[in-house]
Amino acid sequence: MHKKKLSPWPYLLIAPALITIIAVVFFPVINAILMSFQSYDLRRPSQIRFTGLANYFAAAQDPLFWQALLKTIVWVAAGVWFQFVFGFMLALLLNRKFLGRGLIRSISLIPWVTPGVLIGLMWRWIFDGNYGVLNDLLVRLGLIRQNVPFLAQQSTAFPSVILTIIWQGIPFFALMLLAGLQGIPEELYDAADVDGANAFQRFFMITVPSLKNTIFVTTLLRIIWVANSVDVIFNLTEGGPAYSTQTLSVYVFNKGNALNLGYASTMAILLALVLSMVAIPYLKTLFKAQEESK
Amino acid sequence: MKRKLIFVLMAILSFASVIAVSAQAKPVTIVHWYWADNPKYSAEMQKIAADFNATNGKGITVVAQEYPWDGGAYSETLFRAVMGGGGPDTSSFKLTSTPLFAANGLLVNLDEFLAKWKDKDKIEPSLYETIRKASGTKSVYVMPWNTQVLYVYYRPSLFKKAGVSVPKTYTEFLEACKKLTMDTNGDGKIDVYGFGMRGAKGGQEPWGSFIWARGGNFDDLTTPQAIAGMQDFIDLYKNGYAPPTAPMDGFNEIIANFKSGKTAMTIHHIGSSIGMVETFGDDVDAFAFPGGVGRWTSMGDTENVILKSTKNKEAAFEWLAYLATGKGQEAWCVATGNVPVSKEVQQLPFFQNNRFMKVSIEGAPYAGIFPILDTTTEWISTIWPNTVAAALTGKLSAADAMKQLQKGLWGK
Repeated sequence: MHKKKLSPWPYLLIAPALITIIAVVFFPVINAILMSFQSYDLRRPSQIRFTGLANYFAAAQDPLFWQALLKTIVWVAAGVWFQFVFGFMLALLLNRKFLGRGLIRSISLIPWVTPGVLIGLMWRWIFDGNYGVLNDLLVRLGLIRQNVPFLAQQSTAFPSVILTIIWQGIPFFALMLLAGLQGIPEELYDAADVDGANAFQRFFMITVPSLKNTIFVTTLLRIIWVANSVDVIFNLTEGGPAYSTQTLSVYVFNKGNALNLGYASTMAILLALVLSMVAIPYLKTLFKAQEESK
Repeated sequence: MKRKLIFVLMAILSFASVIAVSAQAKPVTIVHWYWADNPKYSAEMQKIAADFNATNGKGITVVAQEYPWDGGAYSETLFRAVMGGGGPDTSSFKLTSTPLFAANGLLVNLDEFLAKWKDKDKIEPSLYETIRKASGTKSVYVMPWNTQVLYVYYRPSLFKKAGVSVPKTYTEFLEACKKLTMDTNGDGKIDVYGFGMRGAKGGQEPWGSFIWARGGNFDDLTTPQAIAGMQDFIDLYKNGYAPPTAPMDGFNEIIANFKSGKTAMTIHHIGSSIGMVETFGDDVDAFAFPGGVGRWTSMGDTENVILKSTKNKEAAFEWLAYLATGKGQEAWCVATGNVPVSKEVQQLPFFQNNRFMKVSIEGAPYAGIFPILDTTTEWISTIWPNTVAAALTGKLSAADAMKQLQKGLWGK
């Protein structure tokens, strides 16, 4: 009996991709984990040493960490929910036939293809308390008498940044759901018509179940992206005023900027753990549903 | 035999001198980073670099690359670039960053270069002392370039309208902020705010004047005097004498508000004077921040450094010397209105007859800098703006805000 000879080719062919992934993904992640156990502050390079869980205990006692975590939850929940709702509405609209549909579909993608830095700067001017177009419109409509410093007061700064992220993310949901909508066989709707289903029933009995997987995957992706998003908030408010728009990812960025890389890594790891706590059950539910539907 | 030996020696000497000359004339490129407050200053720096390239006669080519100041984030950008193995050969610099860069061994010690430099005495010796003190060593790591003393810009026409004269005391200044807040067209809305407050990054500099005016200082921010200064700052905002956007207003906003006539006074240095005169002509003037119990204004300093990663230290020093006492010094200070460090350039009529320069010089005796600690950069970029915003919007009392600022700066 001949022993099957192992060919080196599969390993050689996979090696470049594997090495690249190890270099650009695994190495930084492992490095971040290691840094989170050190007093890795570049302002005090002579004091860098292993400190065990000290950074994690410090985070647990840091009121700004808890505040940022809470902000992150609100930021993600409100941002992703409204992106989904408005994105779904836009997808349904763009799935209908009307004159100029192609043009509208292209235009609706603009917020998604605009860089986050530019979005931050653009909305910073829109919200500007002295010269912003939003204030101008509201004054002209008679809804306010004096300009509102949207980004300068804590009560309005956070809703303003959430509004911006909603605006940015709607097209992504619309695009993904539109692709899903176009994959639903027309026969299902014809059969529903024959059975006398109304629009409400067609939507909840055919459209939503058919899009379940798309909704699951798209929402999960957006939860992760929005939770990790720094560019929009940083360019709008840098996390201020008075830390009122500082989500965990912005806090990580600010601490990293201040060169306290050990503490920044600790918070980044904690954020990743929180996201995993959302993503793992979410994916389990998705896979279970897929198994059951087979 | 002797002849042969002489011939060989001469041949060696000639060869060595040819090598030396060719090494000296070997083209060298120096990458220089800088920031500029407006496009005009950007163009000026490019021109200075071009002039230096054309005239240095040593084959040195400076490539000037601009990066935004961004309320101080420039220093962090530079640090990350250099730590990452990149960055420039030379860069514009602020003293406050010295501990960070020196602790990581990123700066070239300039002592040897200065010892041989013929123009060394053209710069005030006290400036070298300040620089040595900032580094925490007996060495000079940064090359002086220019200074800026903060003072108050005001609009004489608005002062006239409000019936206010130039404040001589701190109390008069606070009173002027109140009187200059006006509804000029009678529609029931405030059109002009007395004071263009800077609540975002960089605002700690004008804020410092309030703390000192009440008798406080930066060594202990929790003294009753320092808290009283903070309370004045809060009251200006709470009473509506500063624009409602002040907690998030940075450099661009305070200048835009002043230039658009939304504020009657604002605090900045001579670097803005040319733009102010372009906008208002004679309807803009300046006065030194008045004293109360104490008196202080921020001395902005700008230096240049040679990064240790450079392979051309001599050429880099040549360029920095050109900026410190050569043509580059005059050109930059004339274009930007900054206070020159070269005593020779200070004597030029342009500087002697400039009204903003006079106010800068008036403020110089009590101008100072913030404590240079390894916490200062984070304190300036994150802790100060967020804590002061909380105080301005009523989330923190003056005393609590000062406690947080003290902890952020001094760690206790």
